[in-house]
Amino acid sequence: MNYDLSQEQQMLKDAAHRFLVKECPSTFVRQMAEEESGHNPELWKKMADLGWTGLIFPSEYEGSEASFLDLAVLLYEMGYVCLPGPFLATMEGGLTVLEAGNDFQKKDYLPKVASGEKLMTLAWTEQEGSYAIATRAEFQDTHYLLTGTKLFVPDAHLADTLICVARTKQDGAEEIGLFLVDGKALGVKIKVLPTLSGEKLCEVTFDQVHIPKENRLGRPGQVGAVLDKIFHMAAVAKCAEMCGGAQRVIELVMVQAKERVQFGHPIGSFQAVQHHCANILTFADTSRFMTFQAAWKISQGLDFEKEAAMCKAWVSESHRRLVALAHQVMGGMGFMEEHDLQLYFKRAKTAELAFGDADFHREQVAQKMGL
Amino acid sequence: MDFDFTKEEKELIAEVRAFIDKEATPELLAETRQLGLIYGGPEGRKFIKKFASHGWLTPNWPKEYGGLGTSEMVTYLIREEMAYSGLPCIFVGAHMAGPAILRIGSPEMKKEFLTPLAKGEIEFALGYTEPQAGSDLVAMKVRADDQGDHFLVNGQKTFNTHCHVADYHWLAARTDPEAPKHKGISMMIVDLKSPGITIRPLITMAGWRTNEVYYDNVKVPKKNLVGEINKGFYYMMSALDFERMAPPGVYRNLFDEIVHYAKSTQAGGKPLSQNPLIRQKLAQMAIELDVARLLYYQLAYILDKGSIPNYQSSMEKLFVTELSQHITETGMEVLGLYGLLKEGSEWTPLAGKVEHFHRWSVVETIYAGTSEIQRSIIAQRGLGLPRQ
Ligand SMILES: Cc1cc2nc3c(=O)[nH]c(=O)nc-3n(C[C@H](O)[C@H](O)[C@H](O)COP(=O)(O)OP(=O)(O)OC[C@H]3O[C@@H](n4cnc5c(N)ncnc54)[C@H](O)[C@@H]3O)c2cc1C
Repeated sequence: MNYDLSQEQQMLKDAAHRFLVKECPSTFVRQMAEEESGHNPELWKKMADLGWTGLIFPSEYEGSEASFLDLAVLLYEMGYVCLPGPFLATMEGGLTVLEAGNDFQKKDYLPKVASGEKLMTLAWTEQEGSYAIATRAEFQDTHYLLTGTKLFVPDAHLADTLICVARTKQDGAEEIGLFLVDGKALGVKIKVLPTLSGEKLCEVTFDQVHIPKENRLGRPGQVGAVLDKIFHMAAVAKCAEMCGGAQRVIELVMVQAKERVQFGHPIGSFQAVQHHCANILTFADTSRFMTFQAAWKISQGLDFEKEAAMCKAWVSESHRRLVALAHQVMGGMGFMEEHDLQLYFKRAKTAELAFGDADFHREQVAQKMGL
Repeated sequence: MDFDFTKEEKELIAEVRAFIDKEATPELLAETRQLGLIYGGPEGRKFIKKFASHGWLTPNWPKEYGGLGTSEMVTYLIREEMAYSGLPCIFVGAHMAGPAILRIGSPEMKKEFLTPLAKGEIEFALGYTEPQAGSDLVAMKVRADDQGDHFLVNGQKTFNTHCHVADYHWLAARTDPEAPKHKGISMMIVDLKSPGITIRPLITMAGWRTNEVYYDNVKVPKKNLVGEINKGFYYMMSALDFERMAPPGVYRNLFDEIVHYAKSTQAGGKPLSQNPLIRQKLAQMAIELDVARLLYYQLAYILDKGSIPNYQSSMEKLFVTELSQHITETGMEVLGLYGLLKEGSEWTPLAGKVEHFHRWSVVETIYAGTSEIQRSIIAQRGLGLPRQ
């Protein structure tokens, strides 16, 4: 066992920390939450120049072949500052192409994702708010016709390419397929939904969208496994963001606990407050271990779905409770828009509900336990 | 990062497992459970000598004192395996007093105690708590007066588990009544057969025994003073850090049995494990057990790096003991009314373990420092919050 980051990971972390603290102050987070685009192309370009958009892709696609664990380290720092924008959505799209794409598709898409030129997203969740796919792609000899409405698609309004999960027929049998859809294609309508945290989740309507046959992604029969993998990876990625957020929350709370004086003492000397803080630290430490364990498993090419589900279930709940305790320690001040704690409160709920909440993932764990 | 064990560690633990499979007789397991997971009965003593002859009781100790000079990780793995297997797994000598002697004992003391401890020939009992000094250990009053070549000890200890089966008392006593409270305490090793010691049983609501111990003019030779005089409080605190490294194995085992029960027991024509609520609860426990595992092995990792865990041992103690209670509660919920049945009825599931551990787990968050004390330590040492 080894609980420490490698030297390279520590360097990546430190560099990312310095960069993000400078480039993404909380004023910027607030501004992006209010703007409809929620995206700053200049910052994106700088991140791409640092190699972040290509971090985990193989070198043949102009990536730098880093591991998923390295990506988790980077996401941790992004979560620390509540970085807005399409980074995670684009990575999910890229990873899906990497997992499911044929040679041509990979060569076509991945170098552009790696260089930061192309933004992507996964259009997955249906109107029911579930992953029971209803959107349909009808095969018409040379192309598919895609029809349906997806909700909660992250950053679809920015994406050059959406990967749509849709039901189709293959040799007469019902199947789930993945389709690369141009964000500007005729019949694609995108609306940004107003959300709790100002993160951009969209409604995407596909109305008889014409998808060339070559844009189908993944071999028939394999898509389920690919999606399962991507889903669990995305869940761990969200956890990494939450862990970084937790670190920042602790720092915010510690300032208050040590400096705020009531009844003649710093509030951090009161036992009730100390015990809240001890619980906060316990949630933070355990979340980090679970996240890095799952990320490590992914990096090693080991089976990771069970650890990922355990991780998302644990971190989703722990993080919510951590933030709630932080508010308790902070008192009224933390409830004000001008204090940064509220940004983390909003992010926490968004992350908790993304890619399956704790109940959802406990059921996954139950299945993996053979219950 | 690396969340797996090395090949050597896996090989060693396989060897230990094979040994345990062969040697853990039903008699030994029954005796251990009856004694409260401590050793001291005839079967336990026989077993532990054989086990320790491989160096497995104290693998991380240096070879000259009967250890194998291995990593802490190996030690932690073995302890977890013992706990999981239902064997005696609470060793005051090997895991709490011994490490302190290794670090602060005189050469003579090391020679006298360490090898017999490593061989499983002798055992210690912890002697900290007194009627008025529980969480507030510095309030202790048992006195040890300097009489030239020996101390004369008088007073009362309470909740001193193991004393009725152990050979030595790891005793904290006041050697300087004038000094500030935490500067007048010393640690000493007392032969429990010394004249003047009376041990009275205190039976817990789980049926397991702890003791009251009375000292009436008990002579303790000076050579049995541990480390320096009046520094006992600091030694006690660091020994407590070692006490607070609880392997989750006992409850991991109980959990596995509960899962097995849920899968194999029908209710309303379906296995209990198909009930969505039960699935949620069992999955949650599996997750918490994994968290506990990571906290537990983190301690070994820190020790192997050459540091002493700080707030992390309190966090592990807190987490594992609260988990113990979650697991027995979950067990009760899965078993329903059957959970009330004690060992001995033909209707009793899982040999009454759920019922028994449900009673026992209450104390997990109290002894070795209550959860409140652990949380204060985490806040003060882990986050630097001020004391009042
Ligand atoms: C079964 C069993 C076995 C034991 N084995 C041993 C043993 O082998 N050797 C040994 O020396 N001792 C042993 N103990 C003693 C054990 O360590 C003490 O019981 C424990 O430390 C708590 O002390 P107390 O019972 O006096 O409770 P108290 O200290 O009276 O505590 C009562 C309550 O007050 C709270 N409290 C006290 N002080 C504070 C504070 N500063 N801040 C916040 N809350 C506080 C506690 O958390 C608790 O909720 C054992 C106890 C039991 C029950």
